[in-house]
Amino acid sequence: MSEDNDKTSYDSDSSKPDKMFTLKKWNSVAMWSWDVECEICAICRVQVMDACLRCQAESKKDIQSKDGACVVVWGECNHSFHHCCMSLWVKQNNRCPLCQQEWSIQRLSS
Amino acid sequence: MARPNFSSNSGLKNINLEEIWADLEEGIKQIYKREQKMAVPRYMQLYTHVYNYCTSVHQQPTLRNAGNSKTVRRGGQGVQQQAATGGAQLVGLELYKRLKDFLQKYLEQLEGKGVDLMGEDVLTFYTKEWAEYQFSSKVLNGVCAYLNRHWVRRECEEGRKDVYEIYQLALVTWRDNLFKKLNKQVTNAVLKLIESERNGDTINSSLVSGVINCYVELGLNEDDPQAKGQNLKVYKDSFENQFLQDTEQYYTRESDEFLSINPVTEYMKRVEQRLNEEKKRVQVYLHESTQIPLASKCESVLIHKHLDAFRVEFQNLLNSDKNDDLARMYMLVSRTSDGLTDLKQALEYHINNQGQQAIDKCGEAASNDPKIYVQTILEVHMKFNNLVITAFSNDSGFVAALDKACNKFINSNCVTLASKNESRSPELLAKYCDILLKKSSKNPEEAELEDTLNHVMIVFKYITDKDVFQKFYSKMLAKRLVFHMSASDDAEASMISKLKQACGFEYTSKLQRMFQDIGLSKDLNEKYKQFLTDNAQLSSKIDFSIQVLSSGSWPFVQSSQFRLPSELEQSVQRFNSFYAKLHSGRKLNWLYNMCKGEMTTNCFRNRYILQTNTFQMAVLLQYNEQMKWTFQQLMDNTEISQDNLQQILGILFKVRLLECDVDENQLTADTDVTLNTNFKNKKLRININFPLKSEQKAEQEVTHKHIEEDRKMLIQAAIVRIMKMRKALNHTQLVTEVLNQLSTRFKPKVQIIKKCIDILIEKEYLERMEGQKDTYSYVA
Repeated sequence: MSEDNDKTSYDSDSSKPDKMFTLKKWNSVAMWSWDVECEICAICRVQVMDACLRCQAESKKDIQSKDGACVVVWGECNHSFHHCCMSLWVKQNNRCPLCQQEWSIQRLSS
Repeated sequence: MARPNFSSNSGLKNINLEEIWADLEEGIKQIYKREQKMAVPRYMQLYTHVYNYCTSVHQQPTLRNAGNSKTVRRGGQGVQQQAATGGAQLVGLELYKRLKDFLQKYLEQLEGKGVDLMGEDVLTFYTKEWAEYQFSSKVLNGVCAYLNRHWVRRECEEGRKDVYEIYQLALVTWRDNLFKKLNKQVTNAVLKLIESERNGDTINSSLVSGVINCYVELGLNEDDPQAKGQNLKVYKDSFENQFLQDTEQYYTRESDEFLSINPVTEYMKRVEQRLNEEKKRVQVYLHESTQIPLASKCESVLIHKHLDAFRVEFQNLLNSDKNDDLARMYMLVSRTSDGLTDLKQALEYHINNQGQQAIDKCGEAASNDPKIYVQTILEVHMKFNNLVITAFSNDSGFVAALDKACNKFINSNCVTLASKNESRSPELLAKYCDILLKKSSKNPEEAELEDTLNHVMIVFKYITDKDVFQKFYSKMLAKRLVFHMSASDDAEASMISKLKQACGFEYTSKLQRMFQDIGLSKDLNEKYKQFLTDNAQLSSKIDFSIQVLSSGSWPFVQSSQFRLPSELEQSVQRFNSFYAKLHSGRKLNWLYNMCKGEMTTNCFRNRYILQTNTFQMAVLLQYNEQMKWTFQQLMDNTEISQDNLQQILGILFKVRLLECDVDENQLTADTDVTLNTNFKNKKLRININFPLKSEQKAEQEVTHKHIEEDRKMLIQAAIVRIMKMRKALNHTQLVTEVLNQLSTRFKPKVQIIKKCIDILIEKEYLERMEGQKDTYSYVA
């Protein structure tokens, strides 16, 4: 028993003499959110993290269907909105509601 | 009208009344004597006499003179007969009169026999004679069927009031003779008999029922003898009224006497028995119509008059849990129209008291141990719920009383008062759920757990501040999920669906989202592992796993800032880039305060495995470089705030991994903190990951602050909803509607509603209407 202990301490001393503590395992937690300048969609006034007003009303009964259905869209101007809200908006006016630049999609969230 | 010519033309056998009467009378006498059974031929003969007489009468007008000369004695009647029948062509009056005379004489004779009889004798006489008379009269009615069918019917159709079918004639004659003379005697005798039965004697009930049958039969409808259905005037006037009066007197006396020497519980048994007896009495020998008035008379005398005594006793019975007696009292009092109201109130008051007392009795334990608290509440609820079901037959009024009382004592009791926090109940209930759903050695069986959760929902139903429960529940659910502490996914899902059922989709949407995130994270970890094995050059010595949660759904607070140990930085960066490739447009926010890990030690006699949090890792890893740091140096190197570092070190001192020369509360910037190389522990795997007090406290505060903020939002939303619909509303109405809309979630203080109205006016959602005091209008 004591021999074993001596051996382990010797082992560790010899292999990593300067390391008192070694990290073995890390269970981490992180939260994701949309990488946006403004957390509220300027069109429907709902947080971009949540589904837009329209989608909320429609999917009340079935939350499962919500996933991925209401995504976020970024314009070249880097402003972001619910994709649903924006696609309705551009039918009337193809400009960003915040900066009035011509609207073109930079990327869609996934 | 008259058609003498017409009728004289029709020629048939001419039969004079005198010719048949002698034999007919003989037969009738025989019928009424009832000495022997009448043979059928004889009966037919009598019927034929009547028939012949009635059919011969057509010729009567022309032959009347001859007839009259033969029947000098009856001449006067003959004239009458002609007058009465001239237009009808049917003649029967003569015969009818003779029958009436016969009955009259027969009854006069009977009357003589009965008039001096008293008590049971008169009843025996009366019922016997009645039965026989009734039978004979029915036979006579049969004999005279032809007369009934033609002459009598025509007379009645022409509107004569005093002509009846022969059986009814017999009844009327009985009524005008024997009944008129004897009914007082008879009724009194009957009432006496009933009284002696009430006193416990056995009586010959056929005597009573005989009389009652007679009274009922006598109630014919004189205005319309043909009318179907009974007219109970005779029965009501000559018997029932008197009977009800007697009953009232009898029971008034009895109940007063009985109560003066017996307890109410005995009295109730007596009343129950009496009510049954009276019900049976009606069934056995009274007319069924007496049932309702008799019952209501008894109820008013036996119950309603003594309601005060009942009320007093009700409290006693509740105090001593006499459920049988309570059930009896409920049965009795529920028969009166208004008696139950007081009992309901008493019950509500009592349950509230019992609830308060039960929680008082647990003392400190109740406020510290959620299990004791909730189970105490449940015991009280169970007990009285059971009482309401068994003793009060689940009467909706009593259920409401139970609900009201539970509402009261669950939301306001010594525990909530002591904590000076009205939200203590939902908090404790949520904690109880956590105990139930968390992995532990005492986890119950699945079925038992389901039962217990159903019980939790009973208490939940009464909680006023359901939003507080939601906050605490989601906080604890979050921890269970992130740290994989749930005893069973099924139980978690079942509880969420119960809450959803009780409070709707919105209430649980975040809880469900959390549940989903955990599932998604599982997949994500597998993908990442695959990615790492595919890219061998990225392999790390650290076993890395991650939960990625969607922000907004989880009740976690941002971790305080610090410098991530370089050993971990690599893992974070690798995962960040992996995640960015997987999802576009997302950013990750690491919750270091939620992360934990394991470290192995190489510096002690044994190789220990330490279960630590990330902050502890950061501190301990410093000692890989040197054995001694000052407090200030540790602070600089880890960038942990002074306050937090003090607490982290406090734990490390306690488990004797680190050492310092001074008391841990007196750490200064240049205090030396050294590694304890003599560290020893019985276990090789040591958990030193205790939550920081300051963090717990902050969390608590944040929870309560969130509740307040969320409430303000909910109130404002409710106000806007209401005003959008109503356009204009005065202050009190608005407040009432807000309270109403939010009642399923919580009970806002009126002050806060006012504040919210002001905020909305400032934000120009509302404005005060000019010229109208305290009225707001909606600004579109």
